[in-house]
Amino acid sequence: MAKLSNRFWFQLHGWFSLPIWLIFCFVCLSGTVAVFSHELTWLTNPAARASNPDNLPAKPVAELVASVQQAYPTADVGSVMLFEPYLVNAVIFTDHDKPFAIAYVNQYSGEIQQINEGMTFINFMRSLHGWLLFPWQSGYSVGYYLVSAMAIVMLGALVTGLVIYKNFWRSFTRPKVRLHQGKKTVLTDLHRLAGVWSIWFLMVMSATGLWYLIQAVMWHADIDIEPHAPLVAAEQLPATAQAPVVSFADAMQIAQQRFPEFQPSFLMLPEHNRGMYTLMGGGDHIFYDQYSYNLSINPWTGEIAQQKSPESMTALQTVMHIADPLHYGTLGGIWTKAIWFLFGLLLSGMSMTGFMIWGSRTVKAVRESRNATYLQEVPDGAQ
Amino acid sequence: MAHSNRFWQRHKFKLNGLVLLLPIWFLYDSLTPEFPPAWPAQQLGQFEIAPMPLDLKPPYAHHDQYVKDFYLSFSQGDIASIRQGYLNIGPVPLPLPELQQDEEGILHGSRHGQHVHAIAPSQLTATDKVWLTLQTWQGEVLTTSWPLPAQLLAAE
Repeated sequence: MAKLSNRFWFQLHGWFSLPIWLIFCFVCLSGTVAVFSHELTWLTNPAARASNPDNLPAKPVAELVASVQQAYPTADVGSVMLFEPYLVNAVIFTDHDKPFAIAYVNQYSGEIQQINEGMTFINFMRSLHGWLLFPWQSGYSVGYYLVSAMAIVMLGALVTGLVIYKNFWRSFTRPKVRLHQGKKTVLTDLHRLAGVWSIWFLMVMSATGLWYLIQAVMWHADIDIEPHAPLVAAEQLPATAQAPVVSFADAMQIAQQRFPEFQPSFLMLPEHNRGMYTLMGGGDHIFYDQYSYNLSINPWTGEIAQQKSPESMTALQTVMHIADPLHYGTLGGIWTKAIWFLFGLLLSGMSMTGFMIWGSRTVKAVRESRNATYLQEVPDGAQ
Repeated sequence: MAHSNRFWQRHKFKLNGLVLLLPIWFLYDSLTPEFPPAWPAQQLGQFEIAPMPLDLKPPYAHHDQYVKDFYLSFSQGDIASIRQGYLNIGPVPLPLPELQQDEEGILHGSRHGQHVHAIAPSQLTATDKVWLTLQTWQGEVLTTSWPLPAQLLAAE
């Protein structure tokens, strides 16, 4: 009975990961690369580096927007993205000859280092890993479902793996890789060792992946996790043409006054006269993402029409804002990213060794069954 | 059933590989987007505007409202002189006091062109038109319409 049960768990372990082995492996590998997408951007594109040889303080974002506006007088800036201090600020704009462009502005010198009218490596990796570039319909992408459903596969493989591998904790106390007992033994030992040491990582990835799956369903079902940005009431608009009373620089100051720890990350300017400044940023909370502070500021009155911070979040919003740093490994800067990268490699390696173990078993089984058929056929043919 | 199971067992890894080829196709697709042709431009006060549907699919649901996406290009007129503007699809233009209650159908974007998620019925009919309502900073309210092209009605 125990033997049968073991076989059952073993088969279940295979059923979880084998049928979608190649896709799973690709998701692991692309995620591993995506961990360092910011660093790889820095490494490969000198124009994306925010060099600061004179150790200048970062200029206010509104000043950078003004410098883009000055260099491209017919440009309309829509939003600004801020990354790590070693990367430039991305000022996103449209112009008469540019339907979509990103100005890479060095926040210390104010210099525009590049105009990118295409895709960024960071976004490409995010889209490749997150939804395999499958297009977004209204509210959902098949690719996003496919990738986030891998969390079920991962969790299943983890649980069944631990059931099969009795006394798995020995991999912590007495890790072993038997190198001289054949290929299959090496592969099995590596697979088990990596698996046990990755338990925490598999749990983090499965948990955050399951959250992404839930989030995908909620998006698809039109259930808002966060309320929409409010709108300026038509009555609040002035009767005659005039520029908004509250400039972008004013709005940033209002945000900073409201949340002194506010570190801007994604700043959207109003897209029409009834739109508001939508300012998102991070703060001092290690486990929360860079969008956990959010303010909607009325450009005609300066009123904070809506605000959100870790203190005022609902349970679902909290999960939403702590999932990304855990999934991306950004919570402790480059060192945690390095750990996530390493375990990402281990996970990719486990999917490969798992497949190779299965492959060698299958080849052996096929060979044995062919031999058996051959042996059966010989006497038949002799008769 | 047994046959389809055998097919899956035999070809599952090839199917995995095929799924992984799709991103290449999607990448090409996203780098070379194609849109339906823009509709004829119409004069509306100082503006000359040509709408372009982003696709020929039926309207899609967004919360409790069906919407259809358009891009409006302005060959004449200064977008900055619009106080607010809306697009709706239906037999008649929705009155401005009703439109300005909510966000759906509001024109947004930059001085180079405007996007809009037009308020739409769940199914388009031949009696529906696309209605553009603009209010200028002078308080003028301008309205014009475009008939729905046959391809859009055929998409139902």
